[in-house]
Amino acid sequence: MALFITKRLLMALATVLVVAVLAFLLVHAMPGSPGAVSLGAGASQEAIDEVNARLGWNDPLLAQFFRWLGDAVQGNLGSSLIDGRSVSADLGNRLPVTASLAAGATVLSAVLGIGLGVTAAVRGGMVDRIVGGICGLAVALPAFWIGIIFVYLFAIQSSVFPATGYVPFEVSPQDWGMSLALPVITLAVGGAAFIARQTRASMLEALQQEHIRTLRATATSTWKILYIHALRYASLPIVAGIALQFIGLFGGSVIAEQLFAMPGLGQAVQTSVSTHDAPAVQGVVVIATVVVVAVNLVLELATKFLDPKLRAS
Amino acid sequence: MIPNVAPAPADSAPATAAAAVQPKSGQRTAFSKVSASRLFASPGGVAGVVWLAALVVASLTAQWWLPYKTEDQDFTAVLSGPTAAHWLGTDELGRDLLSRIFAAAAGTLGTSLITVIVGVGLGTVLAMVAAGGDRTEGAISRVTEVMMSLPGTVIILAVIGAVGTNIPLIMAILGVLISAGIYRVILGQAKSLQSQLYVDAAKVDGVSTLGISLRHVLPGLTNTIVVQSALIFAVGMLIQAGLAFIGFGPPIPQPSWGGMIQGASQHVYDAPWLMVPTGAVLALTVLAANAIGNALGKSPNAGVSHLPSAAARRQRGRVVAAAVAATGAAASAADTGAIPAKGHLSVRGLSVGVDGGTPLVTGVSFDVEQGTVLGLVGESGCGKTMTALSLLGLLPAGVSATGGQILWNGKNLAAATERDMEGIRGRDIALISQEPMRALDPMFTVGYQLTAAIRRLLKVGKAEARAEALSLLEKVGIVDAKRILKTYPHQISGGMAQRVAIALALSGRPRLLVADEPTTALDVTVQAEILSLLRSLVKDSGMSVVMVTHDLGVVADICDNVAVMYAGQVVESGRTANILDNPRHPYTLALLAADPHANTAADMPERLATISGQVPQPKDWPTGCRFMARCQFAGSACAAPVPLLSSGSEDGLVRCVKADELAVEGLEWLATEVPTHHVMKIVEKDLA
Repeated sequence: MALFITKRLLMALATVLVVAVLAFLLVHAMPGSPGAVSLGAGASQEAIDEVNARLGWNDPLLAQFFRWLGDAVQGNLGSSLIDGRSVSADLGNRLPVTASLAAGATVLSAVLGIGLGVTAAVRGGMVDRIVGGICGLAVALPAFWIGIIFVYLFAIQSSVFPATGYVPFEVSPQDWGMSLALPVITLAVGGAAFIARQTRASMLEALQQEHIRTLRATATSTWKILYIHALRYASLPIVAGIALQFIGLFGGSVIAEQLFAMPGLGQAVQTSVSTHDAPAVQGVVVIATVVVVAVNLVLELATKFLDPKLRAS
Repeated sequence: MIPNVAPAPADSAPATAAAAVQPKSGQRTAFSKVSASRLFASPGGVAGVVWLAALVVASLTAQWWLPYKTEDQDFTAVLSGPTAAHWLGTDELGRDLLSRIFAAAAGTLGTSLITVIVGVGLGTVLAMVAAGGDRTEGAISRVTEVMMSLPGTVIILAVIGAVGTNIPLIMAILGVLISAGIYRVILGQAKSLQSQLYVDAAKVDGVSTLGISLRHVLPGLTNTIVVQSALIFAVGMLIQAGLAFIGFGPPIPQPSWGGMIQGASQHVYDAPWLMVPTGAVLALTVLAANAIGNALGKSPNAGVSHLPSAAARRQRGRVVAAAVAATGAAASAADTGAIPAKGHLSVRGLSVGVDGGTPLVTGVSFDVEQGTVLGLVGESGCGKTMTALSLLGLLPAGVSATGGQILWNGKNLAAATERDMEGIRGRDIALISQEPMRALDPMFTVGYQLTAAIRRLLKVGKAEARAEALSLLEKVGIVDAKRILKTYPHQISGGMAQRVAIALALSGRPRLLVADEPTTALDVTVQAEILSLLRSLVKDSGMSVVMVTHDLGVVADICDNVAVMYAGQVVESGRTANILDNPRHPYTLALLAADPHANTAADMPERLATISGQVPQPKDWPTGCRFMARCQFAGSACAAPVPLLSSGSEDGLVRCVKADELAVEGLEWLATEVPTHHVMKIVEKDLA
C-alpha cells in the first residue's frame, strides 16, 4: 500500500510537471509578446522591447522555464500583464469560489446520481425507463442552457435565488449558500445523470454476481442485499465515476462562472485567454491541474481502500 | 465542460464487456448485419438516424430553401416569437432564427466529426497497439491515465489562447484529449480479442502483428468503435457549443449554436422564447447521437440478475398466482392422497420455463426421503440446475416454475410467495453452489458473512453467533477456524472456500441441502474430501441432499437414489445401485459407457463410447422421445410421446419405449469410429 501511494504521488507530480511544460510552451505560442500585451495597442516598439527585456522574454526558453518553475515552487506565479497584480494572490482569491462550486456540484451529483441509479436498478420496469429518459435528456442538454433556464425560473419568474454573483463564506454563510445554489444545481444536472447511469449499470452488474444468490439462499432480506451487499460491490466503479465527474465539473465551472458572474478560476481562464495574459493563463492551468490531480489521487486511494483485495496487498 | 467519456456511460458499459468475446465465424460481416438490425430494432435509434440525416440534408441544402440569409435583419420584427414570416422567431437584430440555426448546423456537425475521427481513431490505434504487448500497454496506459486526470477544459482554453479560435484545430486537439477515454473503453475488448485461440493460431502461422490487429482484432471492435463515435460526436457538439457560448466560437457574424444561445441569454428577461429553438435543436441533435450509440451498444446477451427487480418480482407474483389459479395447486396437494411426511421432499410434474416462452423443464417428478441423497444427473443444458434452483425459489430473473408441485412440509413451494420462500430458505432448504469463490461475497470477511447468516437464521446474539460460526467451521473440517473468520474470500483456496460455503449453508440447520455441482470446480483431491464431508454430514444430521452432478463417480460415491435428466425431463430414476448396474434407458447406458471412471481397469474398453451430437435446445424438442436423434437404438416407435413407466426393479422408472426390448437383448452402447480429422484437431491443439 505504501509503495502504491508513493508511486501514485510520483505520477501526480509528473503529471503536474508535464502540464507545466505544456502550459509554458502554449503561452509562448500566444500571439503578441508580453510587452505588446501589457502596453496595449499604440505603444512604441522601444517601450515594448524594454518591457520584454525586463521580463526576460528574449532569454533561452529553458532558462525562462526554470526561472518560472523556481518561482512557482515558492508560490510566485508572476504578475498579470494587464493589471500587474500577483497571479498567485489573484488565483488564491479565486480558488475557493471554484472549489465550492465544483465540490458542491460533485456532492450533489453523487447524492442525486446514486439515489436515481439505485432506484432505477432496483425498481426496474417503468421507473427504470423514466429515470433512463430523464438521464438521457439531462446528458443531452448543455449546462449553459440549463443554467439560463434556471435563472429564468428561479431568479426572474420567482426570485428564490440570486441570478448572479458570489458571496464569500466569511461574509455570510447563508448568502454564500444562496449564491452557490443555482450554479451548483446547473452543473449537477449533467453530473447526476452521468453518475446515475454508472450506478445503475454497476448495481445491475452486482446483482448478477453469484454471491447474491447465496445471500438469498440464506434468507438475507432484500433490503440488505440491495443496500449493503450489492451497493458495496458496486461502490468501486461508482467512486471511480465520481472522481472522473469531478474533473468534468471543475472544467464545467468555466461556463457556470461566466453564466453566473462568479469570480472563480474559470472566469480567470476565460479573461486571461481573451486578453493573452500569459502569466495568468500559465498560472491558472497549473493550479487547476494541481487541484484536479490531487482530488483524483484522494478518490483513487479511496477506491483502492474500498477493495479488500487491494487493501490487503 | 469536457464531459467524461471514459468508462462508456449509458447502457453500453456492461454491454461492451459482455459482447467482448464473439465467435470468429463471420465476424467481419457480422457487424453490418447485427449492428444495423440492432439499430433499427430500437425506436430511439431510428429516430436518431432520421433526425441526423434530416439535419445534414437540411443544412447542406440550406442556401436553396432557407427563407432568409443569416445576416438579413428585419427591424419590424425584433425579438419576435414564432410568426408566419419567421417560423421560429427572430433575435435582437431581427435575424431569422430558423435560417441561422440551419445555416450553423453543417459547421457544427462537420467540426464535431473531426473530434470523432481524431479521438476514436487515436484511441483505437493506441488500444490495438497496447493489446499487442504488455510493455507497450504499460507505457500507453500510463500516458492515458495522465491525460484523463487533466482539467481538459482549461487546457483547451489555453490552446485557444495560443492558436486563436481555429475551430477545426481546436476540435482535433479535443479529440486527442478524449482519445485517452476511448482507449480505456476499447483496450479491454481488444485484449480479450487478442487472447483468443484463433489469434494464437494466426501467430503460429506467422501472421504479422499488424496483420493480426487489422484482420482479427479490428473487426471485433467495430461495434464498440461505432458506439463510441456516436457518443463522442454528441460530446463534440456540446463542447463546441460551450466554447462558442463563452465567446470562443466562430468569428462574430457567422452563426453558431452556442453563440446564439449566448445571445439569447442576454434577453432571457425580455424574450425568453429566444432560448427555445436553438436549445431544442442542439439538445435533439445530441439526443439523436446518444440514441444511436445506446441502440448499438445495448448488449443482446446481458447477464442474468440473481435478484429480480421490484417490477420483475411483481410480474413473477402474477405468473405464480395465475399458475395457482389454473391448477388449483393448493388443493391438489391433498388430492394426490399421500401427504409427504415432514422432511420428505416430493416433486410432482414440475415445469420450469422462461416467462411467456420456452419451457426449460417439463413434468419432472422425484422424491427425496429424509436422510437420503438424490443425484440429479445429466449433461449441461438438460435442466438439472433449473430443477434444483426451483426447490429454493431461486430461479434467475425471467424464469419461473410454470406448473406442478414441490411439496415440502405440507406446502407447495412451486406456488409459494417470495415471503414464504424467505422463511424456508436457509432454515429448511439450503444451497451450495458450484463455484465457491463466486458464491461468497468478495467484499466481506468470512466471519461477517457467517455470523450475519447465523444471527439471522437462528435469531441469536453476536457472541453466540460467533461461537456457532467457529463450531460450524470446525464441523466442516477447518482447523484454524479463528483465522479463517478474519479472511476475505480471495485469501483462501477453492477447497477452503467450498467448506466455508457449506458451513454457510448449514448455518440455519436446514433439513434439505441442494448442492449444485459442489465439486466440479475443485481439484480432484479436494473433490474427494468435500464428498466425504457431505457424506458424514448426512449421516450425522439426518439431512437430505439433492445433488446436481454430471459426474457418475459422485453418484456412485454418495447418492442413494438417482434421477437421470435429459432435455428437461427425467428419463430414468431409481436406486443408485440398480441404475448403475442395470441401466434401462439408452441415455443412461450411454453416459455410463462414456464415463472413464465407471469402467474398472479390467473391463476398460479400448475406446470409450461417445454420444454424438448435443442436447437439443428447448425450442428444438421433438414431441416424441427427446433423445431419439442421438440414440443408437432409435426406431419409428420413438417418434410418439413416451411416458415414464416402471422399469421393473423396485421403484425404478424409465422413459423409453424400447426399454424392455433392450433389456432382453442385453444391448450395449457402442463406441463409434472417431473420424480422423477430429484426432488431427486435438493433436494440433495440444501442440499449440
